[in-house]
Amino acid sequence: MAKTVDQYFDDLQQTRLWRSIFRSGPGSSTLKRALVIQQNVFLHLFSTKVRTRVLSFSATWYLGTLTLGTFLILVATGIPLMLYYHPSAPQAYADTKDLQFVVSSGMFLRNLHRWSAHAMVFLVFAHMFKVFYRGAYRPPREFNWVIGVILLLITLLLSYTGYLLPWDQLAYWAITVGSNIASAVPVIGDKIHFLLLGGHTVNANALLRFYVLHCMILPLTAMFFVAIHFWRIRKDGGLYNHDSEPATVRARNAGSAVKETN
Amino acid sequence: MNEKPASLWQRLFGDSVRAFGVISVVFLLSIAIAPAKNFFSEWRHYQRGYLKTIRNRSDANTLQRHFAGGIQQVWLPELGVVDRCTSCHVGLKEAGLSDVPTQPYRTHPPIPHKLDQFGCTTCHRGQGAATTVAESHRSTLAWEQPILPAKYIESSCGQCHRGQLAGTPQLNQGRALLARQGCLHCHTVKLPDGSTLKATDDPPSLSHIADKTSREWIFAWLKDPQAYASTSTMPNFKLSDDDARDISAFLIANSSPLPGDTVNVPAKASADPAAGASLYGESFCASCHAVQNAAGNIVGGDVGPELTRVGTKVKPEWLQAWLRNPRAYNPATGMPHYRFNDGQVAMLAGFLQGKADSDFLSNVHLDTATPEQVAHGKRLVSDYGCASCHEIAGIRKPENFAPELSRIGSKPVTQLIFLSGMQHTLPDYIAGKIKNPRAFSPGLKMPQYTFTPQQIDALTTALLSLNERSYTLPSSLAVPGRVETDYQPAGKAGKLMTDLACFSCHRINGHGSDMAPDLTWEGSSVQRDWLVQFFKNPGTLRPALIRRMPRFNLTDGEVNELADYIMTVYQSPKVDRDSMPLGGYSQGQIELGRQLFYGKYSCQGCHIVDTKTDKGYIGPTLTHVGSRLTAAWIYEWMRNPQSLRPGTVEPNRAMNDEDARALTAFLISQKGGEKSSRSSKAANSNSHAREVAKR
Repeated sequence: MAKTVDQYFDDLQQTRLWRSIFRSGPGSSTLKRALVIQQNVFLHLFSTKVRTRVLSFSATWYLGTLTLGTFLILVATGIPLMLYYHPSAPQAYADTKDLQFVVSSGMFLRNLHRWSAHAMVFLVFAHMFKVFYRGAYRPPREFNWVIGVILLLITLLLSYTGYLLPWDQLAYWAITVGSNIASAVPVIGDKIHFLLLGGHTVNANALLRFYVLHCMILPLTAMFFVAIHFWRIRKDGGLYNHDSEPATVRARNAGSAVKETN
Repeated sequence: MNEKPASLWQRLFGDSVRAFGVISVVFLLSIAIAPAKNFFSEWRHYQRGYLKTIRNRSDANTLQRHFAGGIQQVWLPELGVVDRCTSCHVGLKEAGLSDVPTQPYRTHPPIPHKLDQFGCTTCHRGQGAATTVAESHRSTLAWEQPILPAKYIESSCGQCHRGQLAGTPQLNQGRALLARQGCLHCHTVKLPDGSTLKATDDPPSLSHIADKTSREWIFAWLKDPQAYASTSTMPNFKLSDDDARDISAFLIANSSPLPGDTVNVPAKASADPAAGASLYGESFCASCHAVQNAAGNIVGGDVGPELTRVGTKVKPEWLQAWLRNPRAYNPATGMPHYRFNDGQVAMLAGFLQGKADSDFLSNVHLDTATPEQVAHGKRLVSDYGCASCHEIAGIRKPENFAPELSRIGSKPVTQLIFLSGMQHTLPDYIAGKIKNPRAFSPGLKMPQYTFTPQQIDALTTALLSLNERSYTLPSSLAVPGRVETDYQPAGKAGKLMTDLACFSCHRINGHGSDMAPDLTWEGSSVQRDWLVQFFKNPGTLRPALIRRMPRFNLTDGEVNELADYIMTVYQSPKVDRDSMPLGGYSQGQIELGRQLFYGKYSCQGCHIVDTKTDKGYIGPTLTHVGSRLTAAWIYEWMRNPQSLRPGTVEPNRAMNDEDARALTAFLISQKGGEKSSRSSKAANSNSHAREVAKR
């Protein structure tokens, strides 16, 4: 009798190599499955137990996961793009042209990065609307909502800083306009403007600054807050499910109690 | 259950393993599009085509050996050039492929530059970094500058070469037109070296116009300058009758009489017309002025105004005064002050007055101007920027009257407004604007010129050369043009030279015109006696030329003044004219020189020494050279003609000292067939004159 895929997987999990890496052996007891999640540095952020109902498409439309997916695509395409790009004033545009014309599949990388960025902004908004209209921001999840707002801002800043990097006319003027908006802040507006651009106009300093923000500071900050965001999902009682929320349960119980007293 | 066939959806996405498999395959296929596009790229297609083209040729092996696959590029960081054109244009450097009918595989036509030194886009424009035809040749969203049409290609030479080039007739013509047709009076053109292009025309001052001509003529002229003279550089402002009437009223009212620039016409003004015509010819007026002949052809020079209908224009008393001394009316004129006597003035004036066209003014009837008309005329004169070209009393020359054109050749297409039906390219815009400026907006002030299509192309070429790249190119690549100095000779002789307008034809120390020889080192080159004789009778030198030095009827005092000045001041540091005698060479040396002349160097191919046997017409005739040039000059000229006159056609024969001395001895003995006793006399009188000058 041929082994099934699951049996091969079981055999694999019993090997010493597997166990030395993942610290968990075979078996499908509740404990075992909980340990798989809890003992993995990445997965331990998540709940060890989830109701199948909240994993259905209708519960979340998978918007948060899709956002994470686009973020991962952006990291995966962004790193090869960094290999071909110099954040220096005369070279940046030429590098963009080289990506378009001579780098193998360079256009594909650039377009994938660009479209994923657009998709991510869209998905972040969609995710927030879904959370808002379902009331999932309410206690005990109010802090995670705040983290989400911070992540929204980081996403927008990533999008904005990435816009300058092709160093073409569109980029130049978009950043000029955008940074002028920043200088409209009362009292410290001009300081912010200067700080943002590293000068009074969009020039080589601004390009370098935006490059460091786009490729280093903002992605790392985003990862930091994403980690908190995911960890708080577990701590705040798992994914939101209206029917099993304590308030709903209490109201339901109170309702049935009223019925019983009648 | 069993008999119901599974639906396609069921079969593909029935369970999670199937769905995963199907989605993976779809995903893989879509990912594969990227490398596939890479593989089927245009440049690979053209390289395959090239290999197919050369396969059956006799030189296939050589071409195959030269061929390198993959993306090729010319990378010149200091020029900002990354040109991948050679990825598709594979055969540009293969001389053998000149028989291929079209690009991309044809050889590049021969040019004086190497492809690897300048790349492609430096001259052709377009997007060098691109590897597809559409992106590299055409204007796209991310790259405005398309390939430059081949008929304007000379403009790219002008990016570095600021002066004239033998290989760029169209660019040279365009630049000359730009300077001559008045463009530069309104439009400023700054060059990358910081200098400003200067106009070469000389629009007349209108401050004393009433002395010169009538209001009717001004009216008719303003309405259509080319109807008066087809070669006129005055453009047509398309004025209405009322506007032309008011401008003419203002110009006449604004004119002030100039003391001494008109004379009373003597009663016997009507001189013999034939004598006037021959005086016109003898004075070489046609070197500068043109006249339309009966066949309708323009004959004569373009330095001064055309005189076909001059009798209709100028007042007789003004014309006589002008011929007597043009500097009284216009101190800055390029016209020489001929010292005509009264009879000659009357004769020439009568002849010119006869060049009239009664039709020109027949339909012009103007009433006396009202003050309102004069005021309106003044406003129009400032509105149209007349003072940009003409000096008009009471009206200041407007500054930046028209847009600056220093970088017009790289103006972004997005900043242009095109006419409907026009190709949206910069060359088409420039050409269209020159052809019919007012079509772009009836309110524009730019007047209508009468250029031929060929002239429009030339002007467009010249304007396209004024571009951003000419500023960004390394300054070491710039080939400066000839620098025009503001040299002015000093003293009494200097005044005399200004009066005779020597610089209208001659060039001295980098100032002046090219019509006649450069005189910077004239003092080293000629003998004083010859120079004196030449001033008195200029017809002796090169009598076959049509444009020649006119006779100015100078007094002996004036001739001596000029000769002394030229002999003293215009000396070359390379030639000491007293270092070699003008005579006394041994007969043997002269004979050796003769043998060298006819034998080793075959000078008779271009020059004539013996009018009976020699047939050379390329260089000047040398029958009298011994009484014209100094021996030291001839010797130095034999050694290295280009060092004395850069660009002369005389070849440098790299003569040794002995040959040069022998030839000098032979040539200095050529004194027009007279005995040698005269030559020694001339040498004596020459040294005598120098002694006088020293005192």
